[in-house]
Amino acid sequence: MATTTLRAGVGYRSGLYEWLTTTDHKKIGILYLANSILMFLLGGVFALVVRLELAQPGLQFLTDSQYNQAFTIHASLMLFLFVIPVLAGFGNYLVPLMIGAPDMAFPRINAFSFWLLPLAAIVMLSGFATGTGAAAAGWTEYSPLAQAKYSGIGTDLWIVALLLIGTSSILGSINFIVTIFKMRAPGMTLLRMPIMVWTMLVTSILVMMATPVLTSALIMLFIDRNLGGHFFDPATGGNAILWQNTFWFYSHPAVYIMILPAMGIISEILPVFSRKPLFGYKAFVFATAAIGALGFSVWAHHMFTTGAVYLPFFSFMTFLIAIPTGVKFFNWIATMFRGQLTFSTPLLYSLGFLTMFLIGGINGAFSAAVPVDFALHDTYWVVAHIHYVLFGGSVFAVFAGLYYWWPKMFGRRLNETLGKIQFVFMFIGFNLTFFPMHLLGLSGMPRRIADYDPTAGWNDLNLLATIGGFVIAFSIVPFLWNVFITFRSGQPAGDDPWEGNTLEWATSSPPPPYNFDHLPEIRSERPVFDARHGVSHA
Amino acid sequence: MSNPTPRSPGSNWLAFAFLGGVLALIAGLIWAVLAGKLQPPAPVTTEAQATRDLYNFVFVVAAVIFLFVEALIVFAVIRYRRKPTDTELPPQIHGNSVLEVLWTVIPTILVVILFIFSWNTLNTVDAVSPAPAVTVRAVAAQFEWEFDYLAADGQTVQFRQQTPELDLPVGVDVHVILRSNDVIHAFYVPKFLFKRDVVPGLENNFDFTIDPADVNQTFRGQCAEFCGTFHSTMLFSVKALSPTDFNTWLQTQIKTAAATPAPVPSGGGTAATTLDLTAHNIAYDTSSLEAPAGQPFIINFTNNDPSVPHNVQITDGTGQVIFKGELVTGPDHRQYPIPALAAGTYTFSCSVHPQMTGTLTVK
Repeated sequence: MATTTLRAGVGYRSGLYEWLTTTDHKKIGILYLANSILMFLLGGVFALVVRLELAQPGLQFLTDSQYNQAFTIHASLMLFLFVIPVLAGFGNYLVPLMIGAPDMAFPRINAFSFWLLPLAAIVMLSGFATGTGAAAAGWTEYSPLAQAKYSGIGTDLWIVALLLIGTSSILGSINFIVTIFKMRAPGMTLLRMPIMVWTMLVTSILVMMATPVLTSALIMLFIDRNLGGHFFDPATGGNAILWQNTFWFYSHPAVYIMILPAMGIISEILPVFSRKPLFGYKAFVFATAAIGALGFSVWAHHMFTTGAVYLPFFSFMTFLIAIPTGVKFFNWIATMFRGQLTFSTPLLYSLGFLTMFLIGGINGAFSAAVPVDFALHDTYWVVAHIHYVLFGGSVFAVFAGLYYWWPKMFGRRLNETLGKIQFVFMFIGFNLTFFPMHLLGLSGMPRRIADYDPTAGWNDLNLLATIGGFVIAFSIVPFLWNVFITFRSGQPAGDDPWEGNTLEWATSSPPPPYNFDHLPEIRSERPVFDARHGVSHA
Repeated sequence: MSNPTPRSPGSNWLAFAFLGGVLALIAGLIWAVLAGKLQPPAPVTTEAQATRDLYNFVFVVAAVIFLFVEALIVFAVIRYRRKPTDTELPPQIHGNSVLEVLWTVIPTILVVILFIFSWNTLNTVDAVSPAPAVTVRAVAAQFEWEFDYLAADGQTVQFRQQTPELDLPVGVDVHVILRSNDVIHAFYVPKFLFKRDVVPGLENNFDFTIDPADVNQTFRGQCAEFCGTFHSTMLFSVKALSPTDFNTWLQTQIKTAAATPAPVPSGGGTAATTLDLTAHNIAYDTSSLEAPAGQPFIINFTNNDPSVPHNVQITDGTGQVIFKGELVTGPDHRQYPIPALAAGTYTFSCSVHPQMTGTLTVK
């Protein structure tokens, strides 16, 4: 119903009403980003609660049960309501702009996908208002612990929240796939699409194929808990390992759902700030597709210690993932080589991504070596690993993307100095928090424990990690202040403040409804660069 | 933006702060490597030694790749900064087939080598002996460990160790069978560099041989798979004994177990006395109980703490566990049949919450 949106300019609707009912992919993208960042802050509060309790041995602030709720909700918020949706938010905002389309293929479904998320957050958090508290069996909700016998109604609310989020993801992924295949502007061939669009395409295929598996597993768990089912509880003839297989069949591809678009963001930023094209574009596309494909054959590396999986196969496939990831790394570095680097905030955060995600990739290889995984699995080493991937990787990429596209979204640039202050504190705080966890894990500290033996030699490292956690929290202050002053009195950005390559920089900042008045010729993966420098591909 | 953005004021002290922070982090990293903190603990079993060797190999490969790639990034950042004279575009290089093939093929070779080494080690670590010297069944439940010492048939329980201490001989092959009656737990001894999940409905097992050099040492063990509210309290220890000491210890335990009268089956009807005991807010409602000497009695136990497990455990003056009731997750109640006790003073406590304790006077 195009007429509905066109009437937006008439002015009898309030701005709030406009935001609540919008079907414009740019506004929906911004809603995704805003909601996700809110969840990031909330998830961060839970992380601080966890770190505060672990700062010294003994239980100072929480009961065991409250601690278990805190880490379960921390992970659930960060994974399902921050990392996945924040990247979907970038995708929503950018994909139509980058392929020269006026909007997503299904604008109303797009709005519906978004509004499921705040609802899911409310459902999940409402567990705290129940007598037995929120979900507390970890974000993996392993059965039998997640069965009704051992977990309260918070777990049911968690299941319903994840069903809502899963529905949102599946609808969103179909929307992306249709948009990318059917709505590209003339000249925008598949191999001229920005890498960000490629990563969103592969991510959407992963979501579409993997999420229904999780959704069915969640429904089975709900039936077990409430309707006398026997899928996952061995006490009633079910199979505890079946839950892990179905859960990880989604949740390992989900790691790539959480990192591929982040790699896309980095692949857009590095060429612009190096003033060079991305090195090895085609190899990059194939590597992205390869990671997506291999992502479906490694889920059981989360289950090496269960004694119920064929170890050599999953070990080998896990090692293989290092190859396309390595290709991407070398392509990024080669993009910077012989370039002319400008150290604006987007590049700084991208360098943060490169240097830290590298650690997250390398410490993953330790767990692929099965006997080493027997030692490290379920210890703080794994906590270090996921945070080097998802914080060192995804979160640094998210901030790179925010600083890079903020001028396009709002027409004003975020303050560079505040952005750099934030970067310095975030980078140092991040390493202070998560590097010591490698040492804790090696020396045998299991994850998910509320308390630890004061004689085990873990006191100092835990205190250090807690201090680091508060440094990260402090780094968010200049960011929020930056957003506030930029809305009040930010420096106008112009249409193309960074000398961008891709189509979003060919329209105004912020872009008008339906995005483009006219499009430049598209003859390569850098149409705006070609137009600026008069490059002809004839 | 034909010229690079001018440096913002204050970017100098920021750059210094950042460099200082990064140098401190690097110093910390070097300390961790030199102090051996980036290595697993010294192994105490044959299998752990193999795992540690594999770890060291992976670590060296990882360290070389890490240093090489980080050096490339740092080099690019220093060497290819945009200078005020850089007004022309740099060469627009789109790729290089030779380089791209190289950095696909070399990592492929590396990961295949890593895989072969790790598979090889896996065959050592996962090997199971056909004739182990000792077979123990570790029984995990929220939130405690018990260890059944099995006879040579691998079935008959010779003796059940109810305190969370696993005594084992050094230098011989030990076979462990894992059993869970509730949720998933994991048997984890950091110095074994090993853990295995204790999955209900699945009997996992594994073998190891404790190094004779580590005789008379005690190793800490802990449940590693999150198993519910008091997961962090689910500790145990492994005590390495010489084979002779172990046999003496085991024979003594078997004799003691045989001498202790078997618990009265519930509904036996001979118990006359019934004592009431209630747990609420992680505390018992009384700190003293009285029972008649020389005859069995019943403790009628009520747990009023929702979702919290409690039980009643009776220990004598020497700390020996006389009776251990099964855990009751509140709100619920249970009747514990207590065997006849000799006159004297005993302690009753909750095995999950050691702070819940009281005195049982038998006269």
